[in-house]
Amino acid sequence: MKKKIFKGLDIEYYRETLENGLEVVLIPMLDKKNYFITYATKFGSDITTFTPQNSEEVKVPDGVAHFLEHKMFEQEDGVDPFTFFSKSGTGSNASTSYNFTQYICYGTKKFTENLRYLIRFVNSPYYTDENVEKEKGIIAQELNMYNDMPDFQLEMRLRQNLYHTLPRRVDIGGSVEEIYKITKEDLYTCYNNFYSPNNMFVVIGGNFNHKEALKIIYEELELKENKPYPKVEEFNEKKEVRIKNDKFKSSIEVSKVALGLKIPKNDLGNKDEFTKMLYLKMFTRLLFDSSSKFKEKVIEEKLMTDMYTEWENAYKYLTFYFMAETESPNELLKEVKSELENKDVNEEDFNRMKKVWIANLVRKSDDPESMVYDAFDDILYNNEIIPDKIDKIRALDFKELKNIIKKIDFSNISTVVMTPNK
Amino acid sequence: MQYTKKDLGSYQLHLIKTDKYKTITIKVMFRRRIKKEEVTIRNILTSLLVQSTKKYDTKRKMNIEAQELYSSSIAFDNTRLGNYINTTISLNVLNDKYTEKGNFNKALEFLNEVLFNPDVEDGKFKEKNVDIIKTREKTELQGLKENLGAYTAVRSLESFDKNSPVSIRMIGYLEDLDSIDGKSLYDYYLDMINKDNVEISVIGDIDESEIVKEIKKYFKLRILKKQSTNISLPLKKHRARRLFAKETVDANQTNVNMICTVDKLTDYERKYVLPLYNVILGGGPDSKLFKIVREKNSLCYFISSRYKALDNILVIRTGINRKNYSKTLKLTEKVMNMMKKGKFENEDLKTAKEFFETSYDQIEENPNAVINMYLAMEYLGLDDIDTRRKMTNKVTKNEIIKVAKKIHMDTVFTLEGDKDEEKDI
Repeated sequence: MKKKIFKGLDIEYYRETLENGLEVVLIPMLDKKNYFITYATKFGSDITTFTPQNSEEVKVPDGVAHFLEHKMFEQEDGVDPFTFFSKSGTGSNASTSYNFTQYICYGTKKFTENLRYLIRFVNSPYYTDENVEKEKGIIAQELNMYNDMPDFQLEMRLRQNLYHTLPRRVDIGGSVEEIYKITKEDLYTCYNNFYSPNNMFVVIGGNFNHKEALKIIYEELELKENKPYPKVEEFNEKKEVRIKNDKFKSSIEVSKVALGLKIPKNDLGNKDEFTKMLYLKMFTRLLFDSSSKFKEKVIEEKLMTDMYTEWENAYKYLTFYFMAETESPNELLKEVKSELENKDVNEEDFNRMKKVWIANLVRKSDDPESMVYDAFDDILYNNEIIPDKIDKIRALDFKELKNIIKKIDFSNISTVVMTPNK
Repeated sequence: MQYTKKDLGSYQLHLIKTDKYKTITIKVMFRRRIKKEEVTIRNILTSLLVQSTKKYDTKRKMNIEAQELYSSSIAFDNTRLGNYINTTISLNVLNDKYTEKGNFNKALEFLNEVLFNPDVEDGKFKEKNVDIIKTREKTELQGLKENLGAYTAVRSLESFDKNSPVSIRMIGYLEDLDSIDGKSLYDYYLDMINKDNVEISVIGDIDESEIVKEIKKYFKLRILKKQSTNISLPLKKHRARRLFAKETVDANQTNVNMICTVDKLTDYERKYVLPLYNVILGGGPDSKLFKIVREKNSLCYFISSRYKALDNILVIRTGINRKNYSKTLKLTEKVMNMMKKGKFENEDLKTAKEFFETSYDQIEENPNAVINMYLAMEYLGLDDIDTRRKMTNKVTKNEIIKVAKKIHMDTVFTLEGDKDEEKDI
C-alpha cells in the first residue's frame, strides 16, 4: 500500500486498487476523535438503459438507483443496519446522485466492526415483492416533499430545457408514477450489474488504523467477483440547449429565475478536466461572487435579493447554473447574460481568489468528512487522487483564463422564469 | 484543551486554548430578554452590521477585505433561547501559522470594525443600505409560505400558544418593516451594545495574555447593569381537550406538527431522562416513530421528535399524504403510549445512551460546539462532559417510563396539501 501526501496540508493518505478493481483511499487523521467511511458505486440515476454481457437490452423505470439505495437497508437476517450502527452510537445514511450511490457511517467507536458491517450489508441485497411494495409509499412521500419545493421545481424545469436526451432531465428519485412500476427484479438486475468491485470504491478519513482498515477491506472484498460492466446507453446529446426561453407559474410569493449555460467539454481545449473545471469556476466566481461588481450592482438596483450558482459535470458537457429570487426577472436575466458575455475579469481579483481557494483547502483539512468528500470526487471524476490541488491552484494563469473563456459559446443559454400564480 | 474564564467587568471572556484546529474562532454574543416587536429590527440591524462599515462602506469592500484575510468569514445569527434572544457575530480565521504573521490581528481589527464602527451618518444608518436589507427581508418574509416545513413549524407554535415567546417568529414580521428606518436602527444598535449582556469566546491556538490585551483594546463596552431573567419558559399545562388546527395549501404533501407539553420535571429528568426518551421516541432512523410509522406502515419519508428543554415542549413532525392523516396520528399516539407502558427494550435505552456518548466525544472536534458547551455550562446550568457521561449512563428504564407519563400531545397543526394525489396509491 502506497503512502502519499496531500501537498501543503500535512496530511497523509494511502491508496490501493484491489485486483478486482475496487478503489481504496485511506486518510488517517489521528489527532481527530471521529471517523467517516463511505462505500460507493458509480451507479446513479443516470443509468436506466443498459445491456449486460450476453443478454438483451434492459430498460428499468426512472428512479431505480435511488429505490435500490433505500432497499439496501433491508437485510435477510432482519437486522436493520441503522440499528446495528446505532448500538455503538454510530450514525449511518445513504444517498443517490446522478452518477453515484453511497453508503456512509460515521462515529467515534467500533471502527473495525462498523467498517466490516458497512461493506457486508451493502454486499447483501435482499429484495422481496413485499419489501419492495412497502417502500413505494415512503419514496412517494419523499418525492412529494421535493416536488413541493419551488427551487426544485425551477431547477427541474431548467434541466428539461437544457438537455434533449441526457438523464439529467429527470429527477434522481424518478416520479411517483415511475417508482410504482419498480419490481424486485429491476433492483436485482441493477445491483448485479453495477454493485461490482470494479465499479465501486471505499474512502475513509479520520481516526483509524489504516493497516487494520485495509485488512478488513481485503477480507471482505478481495474475493468478491466482478460481473463484466454492461454496455450502458450512450447519448447523442445535441450541443444546443433544447429550449432557450421558458416561463411557468407556481404557488410562490416572489418570482424566481434560472439560467443554464451548456458548454461541450471539447470546446475548451485539451487540458485535464480538473484544471478546466478550476478555470470555469474561477470565471464564474469572479463574475458572480460576493465580491463581484455584478452582485453589488444588482442588489443596489434591487434587481435581486438572493442567488445561487453551481457547475455540473454531465457527460460531455459542463453546465453552469444560475438561480435567483427577483421582483424583476427579465431585467435580471439581461444583466446576467451581459455579464457573461462581457467576460470582464481582472488580475487582481483573480489572484485574491486563488488565495481564498488555497486558504479554504487548508481550512477544510481540519475535517475528516471534508477530506473524504474531496477524495471521493477525485475518484469519481478522475479515477485518481489529486494530491497537489494547492499547486494546481497556484499554477492557474490569468492569460490562460482569458484564453479559455474566449472559447465558450455564450449564446448556448437556456432561461426559465417562474412567477406567482395569483 | 485548556479553558479560562475572565470577568472583564462589562463582559465575560471565555478562552479555550487548543492546537486541535488550524483556525481561530471568536464569538461575540449579545443577549437580552426577547420581545416580539424587536425581532425584525434586530434581524435588520445584524444584517446591516455585516453589510458595510465606516471604513468598508460597501458590502463588496467588506467581502474583499474578508477574502484578503485568507478567506476569513464573519457570520451572524439571531436565535431564541427560552426567554432570551441571542445575537452571535463570529469570526473564523486561519491561524497565522498557515497564513502570515499579523493576519489574526488584522482579522480582529476587522471584527472590531464590524461591531463598533457601523456605517452611520448623523446618528442614522444610511438609508440606501437600510433599503437594501429591508428589501431582502421583505422577500424572505413573503417567501416563508413557500417553505412548507418552516411555515408549519411557525404556525403550529402560534396555534399552541400565541402569547408565549415560544411562538415568536425568529424570521421577523412583515408588518414591522415599514416603521424601521436608519434612525430607529441606530438607536436600537446603541441600546444593544450598551445594555445587552455580552459574552466573548475565543478558541484556537492562542496566546492567552496576548489575546486578553487585544480583546481589551478593541472591546471597550460599558455595560452597567446585567439583566437577569429566567431562561426557561414557564411550565404550561396541557389543554383539557386537544387543539386541532388546520390550513390548506396548494401542495402535494401534508405537513403535520404535534406539540406536546411537558409536566414539571426534576433537574435530572430535564437534563438526562427526557433527552434519552426523545432519542428512543423519534431521535433518528433507529427510533420507534421511524420504525413504526415509516418502516412498518409506509406512511411518511420523515418523522422525528425534538425536545426543546428551555421551552418545556416536545415537537413531533412528519410529512404525509392527507388521506393518511388519522392513521398517522393514531400510530403516533400508540407509540407514545407504548413508551408510557414501558413497551421498549433495555437495549433501546442502551442505544440511546450510546448516541449521547458519541455526541459528547465529538464536541471537541468542532470549535463552535466547544464554545457552546462552555456557554451552556455557564448559563443553562448544564454539567461538564464527565458528569454528563456519568449521569446519562445512570438513567433507568423506569425513569424513562415516569417521564413518558409527563408528556402530553396538546396541539396538532396540519398544513394540508390539497393537490390531487391519485397517482400516489
